[in-house]
Amino acid sequence: MTIAVLVVLIAPLLAGGLSLVVHRSAWLHGINLTSIGALVTAETVLTHTVLSDGPVTTLGELVYLDALSTFILFIIGVVGLACSFYMRSYMDEQVARGVIAPGRLNLFFFLFHMFLLAMVVATVANSVGVQWVAIEATTLATTFLIAFWKRRESLEAGWKYLILCSVGISLALFGVVLLYYSSLHVLSDASQGLNVTALLPVADRLNPHVLKLAFIFILVGYGTKVGLVPMHSWLPDAYTEAPAPVVAMLAGVLEVVAAYAILRVRVIVDHAVPFAFAGELLALLGFASLVTAAFFILIQHNYKRLFAYSSIEHMGIAMIGFGIGGPLGTFGGLFHLMNHALAKSMAFFAAGNIHRRFRTVEIEHVQGLAMAQPWTATALMISGLALSALPPFAAFASEVQILTALASQGVPGMEFAGTSGMVTVAVSDQFSRVALASVFLIAAVLSFGGLLYRITGMVWGTPSEGIVRGEPWTLGHLPIILLTVALIGFSMFLPQPIKELLEQATSILVIQ
Amino acid sequence: MFDTILLLVAQTTVLLAFSPFLVGLIRKVKARLQLRRGASVLQPYADLAKLFHKQPVISTTTSWIFTATPYIVFASILTAGLLVPTFISQTPMNFAGNIIALVYLLALGTFFLMLAGLDAGSAFGGMGSSREAIVASLTEPAMMLAIFAIALTNGSTNLSTIVHKTALLEGIVTDPSPHLMALAALFIVALAETGRVPVDNPATHLELTMIHEAMVLEYSGRYLALLEWAAGLKLAVFLSLIVNVFAPWGIATAVTPTAIGIGLLVYVVKTAALAVFIGVIECMFAKLRLFRVTDLLGVAFILALLGLLFFYILRS
Amino acid sequence: MQGLSSVGSQLVDLCSALLLLTCFAIVAQRRLSACVDLFALQSSFLVVTATLVAYLTGNQHIYIAAGLTGVIKVLIIPRVLKKVIDHLNVKRELVMHVNVPTGLLICGGLVMLAFFIAQPILPLGSLLTRDSLAIALAIVLIGLFTMIARQKAVSQLVGFLVLENGLFLGATAATHGMPLIVELGVFFDVLIATLIAGIYTNRLQDAFDSVDTDRLTVLKE
Repeated sequence: MTIAVLVVLIAPLLAGGLSLVVHRSAWLHGINLTSIGALVTAETVLTHTVLSDGPVTTLGELVYLDALSTFILFIIGVVGLACSFYMRSYMDEQVARGVIAPGRLNLFFFLFHMFLLAMVVATVANSVGVQWVAIEATTLATTFLIAFWKRRESLEAGWKYLILCSVGISLALFGVVLLYYSSLHVLSDASQGLNVTALLPVADRLNPHVLKLAFIFILVGYGTKVGLVPMHSWLPDAYTEAPAPVVAMLAGVLEVVAAYAILRVRVIVDHAVPFAFAGELLALLGFASLVTAAFFILIQHNYKRLFAYSSIEHMGIAMIGFGIGGPLGTFGGLFHLMNHALAKSMAFFAAGNIHRRFRTVEIEHVQGLAMAQPWTATALMISGLALSALPPFAAFASEVQILTALASQGVPGMEFAGTSGMVTVAVSDQFSRVALASVFLIAAVLSFGGLLYRITGMVWGTPSEGIVRGEPWTLGHLPIILLTVALIGFSMFLPQPIKELLEQATSILVIQ
Repeated sequence: MFDTILLLVAQTTVLLAFSPFLVGLIRKVKARLQLRRGASVLQPYADLAKLFHKQPVISTTTSWIFTATPYIVFASILTAGLLVPTFISQTPMNFAGNIIALVYLLALGTFFLMLAGLDAGSAFGGMGSSREAIVASLTEPAMMLAIFAIALTNGSTNLSTIVHKTALLEGIVTDPSPHLMALAALFIVALAETGRVPVDNPATHLELTMIHEAMVLEYSGRYLALLEWAAGLKLAVFLSLIVNVFAPWGIATAVTPTAIGIGLLVYVVKTAALAVFIGVIECMFAKLRLFRVTDLLGVAFILALLGLLFFYILRS
Repeated sequence: MQGLSSVGSQLVDLCSALLLLTCFAIVAQRRLSACVDLFALQSSFLVVTATLVAYLTGNQHIYIAAGLTGVIKVLIIPRVLKKVIDHLNVKRELVMHVNVPTGLLICGGLVMLAFFIAQPILPLGSLLTRDSLAIALAIVLIGLFTMIARQKAVSQLVGFLVLENGLFLGATAATHGMPLIVELGVFFDVLIATLIAGIYTNRLQDAFDSVDTDRLTVLKE
């Protein structure tokens, strides 16, 4: 048990250290795949243990694993594995084309492993403080990955990312300090004051004022990392400029980890504060993200930014799910996190392939993808359909769950502008639910239309002169196939362990 | 009664005798920091003596204001000085006015000085007066707020009461924040009002920068001596104010010869130390451009405002 | 003991107020190197505060945090920033998004806001000081404001560091220091973040010939 935890932590650390001293490309990829393989294996063991024996606390109370964190760990593993395969072909081509100096390749891998390590630590940490340190570390590890190409645009994106996320995260630290402040009056042992295991049993005795304030700071702070509107402005820039595997990790995993950090605190807050408080705030940011992103998707002419805004939209949807709460909304939210992670990493793999071939990010300059890159075109279509939440894909299931929860329960506390300005408008509960559901539907349909319209425009037609046609099979195509299988498969048949993980994680988040 | 008169005479003498020394001390500190030997700290006394012996020259275009101003300025600042505790906490003149009277006495002097600068009709005098008007209009609100903050924390506007209570650690000095903010504000105000470096440079007669020197440019002989002495007095008044309001410890709280002796000694040491500090500051910073002076005085105003707010916030 | 702790809490309050005071000086200061000096000064006040709290509460590990603050925030980070400034072609900030007096007024408002927000939770403090938490929040907000109001990458960085100082003050004065492992992690993160931002500033200077973040407009909708 402890060994599996150690493997999860040490594999990326060791791989990062080795990457610094190794210079051969093949070796670097070998180390990468081995460490990810070890990570995924250890995760499987952990999943099994957690499912059979319940939550685990180990390494001197530093590590706490329950179904929720195991579920997040699972997403990290899957997306990380897919990325590693994709990087095999992607990075070698960048080096061959001279975009990346061979000497800098090991720096890339080092930062990649540190990024992975920080996310794993953030997921398994028992202490909310350690979790904060790890999430800030993800910012530091990724900022140079985003600016890896040293162009003016990437420097700009990297700087924006560094500054905005560091500031956001600092606000979250204030929230953590406040959380600790509240625990001091209740817990006898101050060194335990930030541990989830210590806080949860006494959560209902914590001071509600302090907890409310703490939650607002933490929501704004980690919300910046998630990319929720209005703290999202770094996200489209960073996603456009970063190398494709990095974006896949950012969009697929980092957002999920940041959302997880919010959920962890939210459970504690819910014990002491009326449930509607956190739910309303989450749903508010969720709706803001959903509506804003839908609008930007409609007017977008850059395919990487298109997917970036789609990320904001989907995180918004998940947040609405968590905001509604209850078993249905929470389950839908968690399920949606996973579906989005899989579909979005695939979309960015495809985007990376397109960019390598067409050398542009403008949608109108990309045509005839089906002829030029049939594999990539297929991947793009599948991920596009999945991100539009169309029926054969799992995202459809999760969105419908959230929508059902919204229509049946409404957002707690959000009495649809119950007091609009000075005049108190008496709106029936039912009306507010219908109105919110309509907003949700309209935004989802708008982004669905915008996304598919742009993607079909890229896939069909004939490629312009000078674009090489045909796409040889590489290792980089393996994750695309695997992810496709997962995306379609999960909607029809959710494997038993994943289903159990999701159900147990939901029951952790829902307070009776 | 006899005590009171004696103390009154003593305080007047101390202020008059001590103020040129402070001016000389600052000059000496600056000189040493600039690796010059500098004139003796007693040089200002010699300057005053020299000027009193010279015959004044008065422009024919001037009115009575020009000749009356030096006396008005000197008298108003000296009166203000008598309201501020120096070596004894209960000043003999404390019945005559409170902290607000102090502000207006100082403003009266400034007002006449500005008039006199205009009166001679020279371009420099007018320039100096208009600059002084800018500075004075910005320092006054800051000074008022800072003083209110102090007055509120001590529950009195009478300087003697404030200093006396603080020295005996009576009353409600529970939280240092309002005091600290007010102190910072008042210090900036003091620099501006006495024409020290970030705002004005007392050591030059450069037309681009001078403020106080431009206003008194037309004066000579005993009139100039009175104005110089008044400027020194103003410095002494501000230093006494800051020193005794914020760190009154050591001041004589009772009328006994020992207490007064100690009070006198402590007073001299404290004000001299503050003067040295000002000298160091004058060496460390360059004079601000005139339009940047508003920034500095803005800082003073905000700090004073915060001091006031802190008081209300912390009390509630 | 009662007398000691009363004087002690006054001293802690005094130090917090001094920290706030340096914030205002930073907001009003245009010269980049002077901003860095003021930050170093602020950090040394922080060291004094932390040492006082450590002495008064007897929490040994706050001494470690105080020492680390001294080394990292008073010595290392200002030196790094000075080096970065040496590399730049600008030494002072002439144009700001918000001019100095307005900025100061806004900061005054932020202090009030901080006290307003912190008001309901201050009475909880069975702790050393009543208002350190509110002052910490005020410093955080002012740091945030500095980052918005300034154009130069270096002064934005100083704003970020001021914000961090506010956080550290909150953690030390209000909660008597967080668990040591968290404190160490936070220090590590801040140090690395500053180094990285310093490297960025140099690269921005080389690529854009300026460290005006207003020039960063290549990426937009």
